[in-house]
This record gives sequence, C-alpha cells and structure tokens, in this order.
Amino acid sequence: MWSVHRHAFTAMASPNEIVLAGVAADLAFEGFETAEAEVRRIERKYSRYREDSVISSINGRAGRNAVAVDEETAQLLNFAAELHRQSDRLFDITSGCLRRVWDFKAGREPTPDALALQLQRIGWQRVQWDGRAIALPQPGMEIDFGGIGKEYAADRAVAALRGLGLRHGFVNLGGDLRVIGPRPDGQPWVFAIRHPRNEEQVCARIPLSDGALATSGDYERFFITPDGRRCCHILDPRSGQPVRHWQAVSVVAPLCVAAGALATMAMLIGAEAASRLSTPGVGFLLVDADGRVRTHDPEQLIPLPTSP
Amino acid sequence: MNADVSADPGANSGGSRNAWGGVLAAALLLPGLQSPALAETPPEQAEMSVKLLHYRDRQPGLARIKVTAPSVYLMVPVAGRWSVEGSLVNDSVSGASPRYHSAVSGASRLEETRKAGDIQVTRYNDRDAWSLGAAYSTEHDYRSRTVSAGYRRSSEDNNTTWNLGAAYSDDWIGSSDDPTLSRGRNTTQLTAGVTQAWTSVDLVQLSLGASWGHGMYSDPYKFPDRRPDRREQYTLMTRWNHHFTDWKATLRSSWRYYADSFGVRANTLETAWVQPVSGGWTLTPSLRYTTQRAAKFYYDPVYDASLGAPLPPGYTATSPQYLSPDQRLSAFGAITVGMKVAYEIAPRWTADLSLEHYEQRAAWRLGGSGSPGLARFQADWLQVGLSHKF
Repeated sequence: MWSVHRHAFTAMASPNEIVLAGVAADLAFEGFETAEAEVRRIERKYSRYREDSVISSINGRAGRNAVAVDEETAQLLNFAAELHRQSDRLFDITSGCLRRVWDFKAGREPTPDALALQLQRIGWQRVQWDGRAIALPQPGMEIDFGGIGKEYAADRAVAALRGLGLRHGFVNLGGDLRVIGPRPDGQPWVFAIRHPRNEEQVCARIPLSDGALATSGDYERFFITPDGRRCCHILDPRSGQPVRHWQAVSVVAPLCVAAGALATMAMLIGAEAASRLSTPGVGFLLVDADGRVRTHDPEQLIPLPTSP
Repeated sequence: MNADVSADPGANSGGSRNAWGGVLAAALLLPGLQSPALAETPPEQAEMSVKLLHYRDRQPGLARIKVTAPSVYLMVPVAGRWSVEGSLVNDSVSGASPRYHSAVSGASRLEETRKAGDIQVTRYNDRDAWSLGAAYSTEHDYRSRTVSAGYRRSSEDNNTTWNLGAAYSDDWIGSSDDPTLSRGRNTTQLTAGVTQAWTSVDLVQLSLGASWGHGMYSDPYKFPDRRPDRREQYTLMTRWNHHFTDWKATLRSSWRYYADSFGVRANTLETAWVQPVSGGWTLTPSLRYTTQRAAKFYYDPVYDASLGAPLPPGYTATSPQYLSPDQRLSAFGAITVGMKVAYEIAPRWTADLSLEHYEQRAAWRLGGSGSPGLARFQADWLQVGLSHKF
C-alpha cells in the first residue's frame, strides 16, 4: 500500500490542507514546506489587511497617484480585467468596498444612503490601468483579489509541488482545490460537495485525477433579515444587494483560478449561469434557490451527483 | 500531458455563443501556474507488454506462409531524465516457400525461425531529446545489425516538434538452397520531420525519408531474379489527426508517396477512426489503399516460347539485364481493412486485439492497368496483446 501524507495549516483566513501520496516522508515534508511558503507569500503580497501588501499600497493612493506594479501583480490585474469584460462587469475587483456597509456578523443591512455612497466607488472600467501602473480615480475606491487570490495560490502551490517531481495528491485551500495528479494506483481522488443548506449532507461526489474544483455559495457568510430574506456575502456590484438565484455553484476546470472565477461569476449572473458555464473543459453543479441540483458535464467531469 | 490542454482557447467554439470560455484562456496566462513543463517529457512509468502475432498469407489454391511471433517489450525510466527500452521477438515461420508468378506451382516446405531484439536509450532535456539505439535480427540464412540515432526538438510554445534520425544497417544474406551464398548489404537511412499542432484539435505532420543501400538485393529463392546492387528509396508522408470533441473520437489520415531507383512508385492513403466507448473500450476501424507502379525490371508472367516458365521471353543465362518475378515489385492495387479493439481491464492494464485483412489485385491499381496474369494475394494478421504500466 502506498503512503499518504497530510499537512494542515491556516492561511488566508481558511483551513487548508495539502495531501501528498506515494512519496517518502522526507520528500513530502519538503513539498509541504515549499507549498505552504508559496501560499503565505501570496497572502502577504495581496492581503488587503496588511499595510505592507501591494493591494494596500494601491488602495492607499486612491484619488491621488498611480502605482507601478510588478509583473505578477500586472498579470493578475489583467486577469481581473478580462473577468470583468467577460462577465459584463459583474466580476469587479473594486466591489469589495461594499463590505464596509454590509455587516454580516451583526446581521445588519446597509441604509440606502450608505449603500449609494459605496456604489459610486465601484467600477473597474473607471480604473486607470495601462498594464504597468494602476490608479484608482477616487478617494475611498479600493481593489481586492477576493475570488482569485486563494485560487491562484492553490494553482501556484501545485506548480511548485510538481516542480519538485511530486505527482500524486492535491492542495485544498478552504474548499478551493487543485489536484496535482491521481492517487498512486491511478484512481482519482474523490471530493464531496457539501449541501448548501445541510452541513451534514453531501449533494455530490466529484472524482478528479487532474484539474481543479471551486465552490461559491450563499452559506459561507450570511444572515437572515427579520422579514426572512437571506443575505449572503456575494454582492451584485450594480445594486449592492446579495445574490439570490443559486444556493451554491461548484465548477470543475483545469485551473483553480478559472474554476473559482467561474463559480463567482455564475453566482452573480443568476439564471444565465448554465449557458455561460457551458464551455469546453468546464463542468459544473448548480444548486438553485429551491435546493434542486443541476449538473452539466460535457466531459464527464462530474459523473454521479446524488440528489439531496 | 494533463487535462489542462482542454483549456485551449481554440476549443471555445464548442460552447454556446456567450459562454465564458475566455476565462480559461486568460487564466492560463497567469504567471507560474504551469509547472516547469518539459516539452520532451521523460516517461514517469515503466511499461511492459507482451504480444502474440499470427500471420498467414495465401493465394488461390495455395496456403502459403504462416508466422507465429510472440514478442515482449519493456521500457523503464531511469533517473528522471533517461529511459531505456527494448524488445525481443521470436518468429516461427512455416509454410510453402515463396512462389513467383502465381501460375507457377511447386512449393517446397520451409521451416524457419527468426530471433530479433532491439534496445534504445533516450535522454530527455527541457526542449529536446536524443536517443541511441541498436537492433539485431538473425535467421539461419539472414542476419541484420543496425545502429541508429535520433534527435527531437520542440518549440517554446510546444506547438511544433522537429525530428531528425539516422540509421546504418549491415546485413548478411545467405541461402539454404545454396550454402556457398554469402553476400552483404548495407543501408544508410535519413529521416526528417516536423509536427505542428495546427489548432487545439488538429495535428499535422510532414516527414521525409531517404535511404541509400548497396549490396545484394536479388532474392536467392527466386529464379531468375537479378536486381541492381544499389537501391535508393525516398518517401514523403503527410498526416493529419483531427479530434472530434463532441464524439471524443479521433480521425487519423495519412498519405504516403514512395519512389525508388528500381522504378517503383506507390501512393498509400490511410484512415482510421479511434472511438472510445463506455466501459473502457476503444474501437479503431481502419482502411488503407495502396496503388503501385511496377519496377522497371519486373516481368509479367509471360514466358519464353522454348524455355517456358519461369523464364521470360528472350531469356539467356548471360543476359545482363535486371529482371525479377517478385509480385511485390509488380503493378497492383491493395486494400487493407482492419479493426482494433482495446479494453482497459484495470487502471494500468490494457488488453487489445487487432485483425487486419490485406488483399492485393492487379485490377485495383489506379490510373493504369496492373500487372496481368497475377492471382490475387491475401494476407491476414491477428494480434493479441496485454500491456501493463507500473
């Protein structure tokens, strides 16, 4: 029987795990250190909570001057710009400011005035980005890499592990995961998708030998208003209101950063998600507001969901 | 390569009009997501296969050669960047000795065994790979030794691969009919090719080959058979593989042109459809058509009025001209139909069975009549194999 090594750590405000199989313990240990260091590097560089991060330095100059960025940041900004374009402005890295007025811990909806003020600060199309330097045109405007940063870290961690010659295992950063390669016996790893309304229940099992799986749902951070409306943390940048169409969207794609972005975009676009996600190399599982599961699977990425 | 290839932006056309296919393409541009991809990837697993080939050919009224050949192949990766592979085959041949023109009967029995083996060592670098090989084959009246070298190189984007190859063979030819016969032949062979990923679902390839041989080409078992002692051979081959995403199937097509200094010109068209079906099965039906012009010195089965068969009209024992009754040098058309069934028994175990039927007829030649008077020639191949990766 082949060996399995598991490493758990917390970073990016998520419980994370790295699983490596079919290797000696010392090589697995080297893999864990390398991959965790890569995740922490990305967290330090792009955390909006750290004053010394690239994101903080960009946000800190909002309404003042442009900030020249390094190559890696430039490529992430280009990626964000492409997501904004493809999603008809729904995926917008400037929409994070809405969090200032939505208090999910206290369960409080923002006042219309407070919301209107933040909505004025949203709009990637107004950002001056020339591929080298970025300027936010308005004080109070900000960007963040929510929806791509953690996923990018998972992909980078896997690339680092493959660079060490590791071939079997996966990296799971808070439920956004990327497979390094199948189990040593050639069988896929099987991942369970949690039911969005019942933590104990599994609504599908997805076997993966390769590629990535990311899930976006309305159950991560939310509150229920006194009149019974569910308010989750995924907010429409046009209205500032929580999305309501899907309880959860899981996407299987070759890269975690693509799976994560597509899952978020699907939550935002609502009813059109199924047709927009129908693209080669992508499989998905949608749980609608009534808890019904729909899957689309052009390449047998998601073979057998079990109905809730 | 892993499933990442399906993220190719070119594959986007399969989705609906507003599908988010571009997200995958954009994600692939992010830095450092691909592990240091080796264009020339060393094998990660060892592979072993055993095969059993059964061949027989026949002409009307004559069951001719039967060959049974078990073979074993082994490939082992070494130290991350090397691989060593080799194979052994042991043929046993039984049946009637070759007859020349089909009108002529008179088959002496033959029993024959052939032992052959080859070995190749490959070194993989980031963008290129080179290999050295040697092969040996022996029968009681024939021996062949070959050394070869190959080089492959891939472009930065991995879309183009070039390859070059060279080989040198040293053969010895004897005869069980004539113990005094001991002749040599050597051949130098060069190949060059380029393979291009044209779109995400199309692969095209062009390859050129040339060989220059010197020595004994005549068939010691045919009389009269006198061939030049130099032979130049040239081939041009184009291939096109197209993957149908909706069907998960691949269409392979190729055209090959062959010309040699004996005057043979041949065109071969081949097509195969590789269709995976559920449950681990893959079906590959195939069809091949060849049309060939005869060698300049091939003579039809028309015989000298006084000397009779097998001697051609005007034959004299001292005539210097070349001549051969070998039906492989005649003008003909030939069709091969085949079917291969492969089954994945377990994740690392594959079994396959393939059947091919070959039929050669003078009348099937395209653009000109075939050599008259030759009976049709048929051959069948049946091969079973089992391979394991570990």
